[in-house]
Amino acid sequence: MSLEADRNGKTLSEQSVLGGHAPRTQRTGESLPFDDALHLQAHRWLVDEAYLLDAQDYDAWMSRIAEDVHYLMPVRVTTALGAGYSTSPGMAHLDENRYSLSRRVARFATEHAWTEDPPSRLRHYVTNVRTFRTDNPDEIIVDSAVLLFRSRGDVREAATVSAGREDLLRRTGTGWELARRTIMVDESVIRMQNLAIFL
Amino acid sequence: MTDQTSVIQDVQRGMIPAHIYNDKEIFELEKERLFGRSWLFVAHESEVPEAGDYVVRRVLEDSFIISRDEKGEIRALFNMCLHRGMQVCRAEMGNASHFRCPYHGWSYRNDGRIVGLPFHKEAYGGEEGFKKKGQSLLPAPSLGIYNGLIFVSLDPDAEPLEDFLGDFKFYMDYYTKQSADGIELRGPQRWRVKANWKIGAENFAGDMYHTPQTHTSVVEIGLFREPKAEKRKDGTTYWAGNGGGTTYKLPEGTLEERLRYVGYPDDMIARMKEQWSQEQLDVVGKDGFMVSAASVFPNMSFVHNWPRVEEDSDEVLPFISIRQWQPISEDETEIVSWFAVDKNASEEFKALSYKAYLMCFGSGGMFEQDDVENWVSLTSTAGGPMARRLLLNSRMGMLENGQNVVEPLTADQYSGPGSTRIGYSEYNQRELLRRWADHLERPMEKAAQLHVGTDPIQSPSAGGTDPSRASTGSTAIPAAQIMSKEA
Repeated sequence: MSLEADRNGKTLSEQSVLGGHAPRTQRTGESLPFDDALHLQAHRWLVDEAYLLDAQDYDAWMSRIAEDVHYLMPVRVTTALGAGYSTSPGMAHLDENRYSLSRRVARFATEHAWTEDPPSRLRHYVTNVRTFRTDNPDEIIVDSAVLLFRSRGDVREAATVSAGREDLLRRTGTGWELARRTIMVDESVIRMQNLAIFL
Repeated sequence: MTDQTSVIQDVQRGMIPAHIYNDKEIFELEKERLFGRSWLFVAHESEVPEAGDYVVRRVLEDSFIISRDEKGEIRALFNMCLHRGMQVCRAEMGNASHFRCPYHGWSYRNDGRIVGLPFHKEAYGGEEGFKKKGQSLLPAPSLGIYNGLIFVSLDPDAEPLEDFLGDFKFYMDYYTKQSADGIELRGPQRWRVKANWKIGAENFAGDMYHTPQTHTSVVEIGLFREPKAEKRKDGTTYWAGNGGGTTYKLPEGTLEERLRYVGYPDDMIARMKEQWSQEQLDVVGKDGFMVSAASVFPNMSFVHNWPRVEEDSDEVLPFISIRQWQPISEDETEIVSWFAVDKNASEEFKALSYKAYLMCFGSGGMFEQDDVENWVSLTSTAGGPMARRLLLNSRMGMLENGQNVVEPLTADQYSGPGSTRIGYSEYNQRELLRRWADHLERPMEKAAQLHVGTDPIQSPSAGGTDPSRASTGSTAIPAAQIMSKEA
């Protein structure tokens, strides 16, 4: 069961405004045992990614992003239990393809991206990882929880963002790459000054 | 409380005591005297298209249910049960015919009228003990709608919304009436920043001066072609009614060529030509200016920009965003930011315009990221005693003797209403803060009170509030028992 099944029986990536290009592979079966080689590879991939993001090594991060990536962070809303949805229809915080991600990364590389100059101190904590097979032997679904701690300067309190993620990882000749990510942030109101970060 | 007379006088002459951007006492005064009576944007009709649709929005600490009742009327109902004061709606959006309080089960129709009061007879002795008939959730004291934009005011005697907006309506139409059916809103995104609410409102109202510096990076990455210093100062700032904003100067060309230059397709241009007045068309086609950011006093803003959003294409895509700077405290603001697009635009245009919005503005927007960094920093430095010694000069555009650096455009040069000037200045920021100062120096009258379920002890005075004002053009809610309480 996808973390994002909803009232239409469609995934959030399918419902999103800009996800028309996204790969549609879904999970099959139960989560893999924690000693399964695929799970170990997936877990390693996520931990390595966390270190890249902490270091803001975005060129290296982009090299692990698929050409057809869909990177989606819906806006969460508080709705009644029976409403059948908990995201804002037609709106997201981020609804990105590879080009728009590349612009964000390129901006950080200019000398004028003031919000990250001086840079934040970042720590991505990744946990609750589970891996699923799909119908495609070269694609797996990986769920994880992520907590980002972000500290700037010496006066302001640090900010945190907590989210669940569902990733589609695809095997290539050189390793795994991220083909789809849906970030279910756990707050309806983000308590961080901007999303000049990646989750 | 500290006497703020000198602060107000300084602001009125364009000198800004820096601490007003982080001062608890000033914020308390703003809550009472400004947000206690201003017109404040809460929602758009397109967010509640069907009967029973609702969204819940705040006016500072007050929660309002903005609903469309079964007759199609828009309501703004104070989200507080008439019995013990519980919130009757704890979701932020949905569709409901009724709101039932989870505490004791009182229930209300989506027009506010009470329908269920458990054990009315047994517990209260029926109508003789508690007058259930005619009771309603408290409506917002005033409600007004322009181009589908829903505003409330906590002042029952607020001037009509359209009078308040005045000539700014002329400019609002560029953002919210590009065709007869107007806009649809999506979102909002909401996030909290440790910055005072006034800074963003001032910035959007008139700060063309920051664009080339703050937003250098978005030009460097090919997202935006406009904000080079040379370009930005060729634009104008205008102030009209209770709002003002900025424009970009467009290249030479016809109306159609200029609208195409900012990315509008021909079908939308045709509808704009049908919809807008000759003067509205002339600002673009004859005078050569296109609206960009703007603010309505006190805390609503608009933005219209036209970035490049696709690889290997020089095409630009225009987007519109509407936002509210919702004050949380003297040093914290919740930014509530919607994407807006003309209802009659093609689905393809809507999707690309949305992409342009996400890349530029909102919680993840690349313009916005650097703005907020500045505003947070400003707010934190404004909190200490040294900031009380500093009067920031907000007199750009004026010589010391009050003479203008640049004179306003004449009717021959410019077709829009208000006072409009080419180039960098802080006229608009001063207009905004002058209104702020005028509110802060004017004491509040005591608000009327509602006695729930019982006759008032005194009969309503001649100057009492007319509750029918509270729900525009509708008599569906029987008059609540509202009276002015003698101070």
